[in-house]
Amino acid sequence: MKKLIPLLLILAFASCKKEEFSTSLTKSFSIQSVTNGANYTIKVALPDNYNPDRQKYATVYVLDGEEIFDFVAVNCKKISNELSTTNILVVSIGYGNDRAVDYTPSKATEGKGGADKFMQFIKQKLIPKMESDYGADTLRKNRIILGHSFGGLAAAYAFTNYNNVFGNYIILSPSIWYDNEIVLKLEKQNRTLNNNNHQLVFIGLGGLENMGRMLAPFEAFFQCLKNNYSDILITHHLEAHLDHRGSENPNILMGLNFYFSKR
Amino acid sequence: MKLIKYITFFLLVLNSMSVFAQAEFVPKSGKNFPMRLLTIEPGIGLNPMPISDLVVSNVLQWNISKRFSAISYTSYAYNNVFLRKFNFITTDYNYSLNQKFGVGVSIYSKHSMHTFSLLAGIKYDSYQETLDNPDIEKVSMSVKSLSPDAGLMYNLKKGRKKYFFSFRMYIPLYPYPIANSSEWSLDGNMANVTLEFGVGIRLK
Repeated sequence: MKKLIPLLLILAFASCKKEEFSTSLTKSFSIQSVTNGANYTIKVALPDNYNPDRQKYATVYVLDGEEIFDFVAVNCKKISNELSTTNILVVSIGYGNDRAVDYTPSKATEGKGGADKFMQFIKQKLIPKMESDYGADTLRKNRIILGHSFGGLAAAYAFTNYNNVFGNYIILSPSIWYDNEIVLKLEKQNRTLNNNNHQLVFIGLGGLENMGRMLAPFEAFFQCLKNNYSDILITHHLEAHLDHRGSENPNILMGLNFYFSKR
Repeated sequence: MKLIKYITFFLLVLNSMSVFAQAEFVPKSGKNFPMRLLTIEPGIGLNPMPISDLVVSNVLQWNISKRFSAISYTSYAYNNVFLRKFNFITTDYNYSLNQKFGVGVSIYSKHSMHTFSLLAGIKYDSYQETLDNPDIEKVSMSVKSLSPDAGLMYNLKKGRKKYFFSFRMYIPLYPYPIANSSEWSLDGNMANVTLEFGVGIRLK
């Protein structure tokens, strides 16, 4: 009986194996940023029947890509199949710098404020490379940014300060509280500039993110976007019973479903 | 189907414990920890990862036999004690109520009793935050959430008379693996690990 317990434990954990995207449809390369000097490992998940000569593809840029690339790529394929729509390129951006550097818009106790340089890198180096080498569509409406936590903060910052780059935002458990809600101030400052663009935004949170910093700023950000943008398609979702990390995958699925069904 | 698989697995573990108990902890009459029919064990505790929630709880244990017991666990948690004001965000209230029932297996040593139990029930969470930043419009939002809860509890009772010392540790099996198979959801389990200390009273 004693020998049976480790065996049962192994079986239980084996049943929770991580989803992995097909290696034959995954390309990777390294690229150095001129703006911050960091070297980023990029992974690209290609759609089935990928043919960049005949077709241009919408592209999702995934922050914290080293952690969630496979999950996003597997589910983009699954959801696009279910909805009988064209799949997209999934671009994982690895960590060139600490995420507290690249994903934070200003210098504060919790971060170094490198988001502007990071976004410059995406805009000036990564996107042009994806367009020239992988058949990524050049239109703003076919670019998506997806991020969670500090990554969600960076995605929210992309909305406020790089709104001409991305037309679609999947913002998950964003750290809007960062630096006395600086992203909300940036949204207000740049509202007039961004208001003419069409926006598709999903913002999600875990229903049990009750650490005293997530819920009210999340709602404030949602209200700002919903009430002040004339051409916006926005939804928000609280993933019941789950906390900050636990809600990440369910909210990614919700966000991707929202994008694929509303784009 | 997944749920049935995991419940079966933990019942197997519990069952194996009872087998070990019978094999290795044969009580000697008269000198061992006494069997009590019904005990009540009020206690206080905290969620240690991170230390942010204070818990007041009660365990009612009915020993059906020397080895097996039925258990009721009730708790109130005052959540997020140390961070109620942060970056213009105020936590107006934040608490959880928990009621679980379960079955336990007990093993005895000379001065103590160890009970391992599988508990299941419901958890009610309620909290509200207000953002009152002078540069931004004031916003409040609240969440009320009723969720299932299940987990394993270890309960150590020490002391042989009517009053005894009780130490409890609760390890949740929710949300991982019951509700969510992503390993990231383990954070939710860790946040609800509970350590409690209390005084038990033998009622019968």
